[in-house]
Amino acid sequence: MTSAVQLAEAAFDPAALLARFTADLDGEGAVVSFTGHARGAAKDGGVVQVLVLESYRGVTLASMRAIAGEAHARFAITRSLVVHRAGRILPGEAIVYVATASAHRRAAFEAADYLMDRLKTEAVFWKREEGPDGHRWIEPTEGDRADLSRWTAKQD
Amino acid sequence: MTILRIELCGRLAEACGCEVEQAVPTDGLPVHALFAALADAHPRLGEVLARGRVRACVNEEIVPGSTVVTAGDAVALFPPVSGG
Repeated sequence: MTSAVQLAEAAFDPAALLARFTADLDGEGAVVSFTGHARGAAKDGGVVQVLVLESYRGVTLASMRAIAGEAHARFAITRSLVVHRAGRILPGEAIVYVATASAHRRAAFEAADYLMDRLKTEAVFWKREEGPDGHRWIEPTEGDRADLSRWTAKQD
Repeated sequence: MTILRIELCGRLAEACGCEVEQAVPTDGLPVHALFAALADAHPRLGEVLARGRVRACVNEEIVPGSTVVTAGDAVALFPPVSGG
């Protein structure tokens, strides 16, 4: 089992991450990857010029490691990679990258989905959108919480 | 007394900057008492602390209110996280 988490202070290349992840495979039949990109529009349609993700490095990385560890405990994946940006992110840039590998596809799909739902609500970041009219702090939405609750319900 | 520097994360920094200093007894102060002292010294921060959703992080661990902080501890206050 291989699990890696990284906090990226500068822009990263998801394609290069996937190439490296795939090169390290050891006979797995499935790889799933997801990349989240910064949007140029807020939920209310307002312009977002910069998305700022503040972190507290040691605690943020620990939160990401805990989430990845639970994904490995829960799904039959053999390896995972989670890369998260911190700092000032421009629209279109990648914010988060998740890759999972497993013998068969279902576990890799589900683990990637689970990782993203957990990261979106529980990873230790404070996020604000900066636009022409000032800035706004962002908290998880009801939709994010509903996504997360799918996994709790499945476990019961 | 000794001076403890406390980092304010996320939107807490809007109340009084990224860092505040607080005098604490040499043998330390529980986090809940630290919150009370900070609220007295910084009313705007106090308003946020009163909502009860701020957690203390001491030496990279999120701790309960009973944890005693002393000189040399790395103390930060975390508002609710945004997630990634």
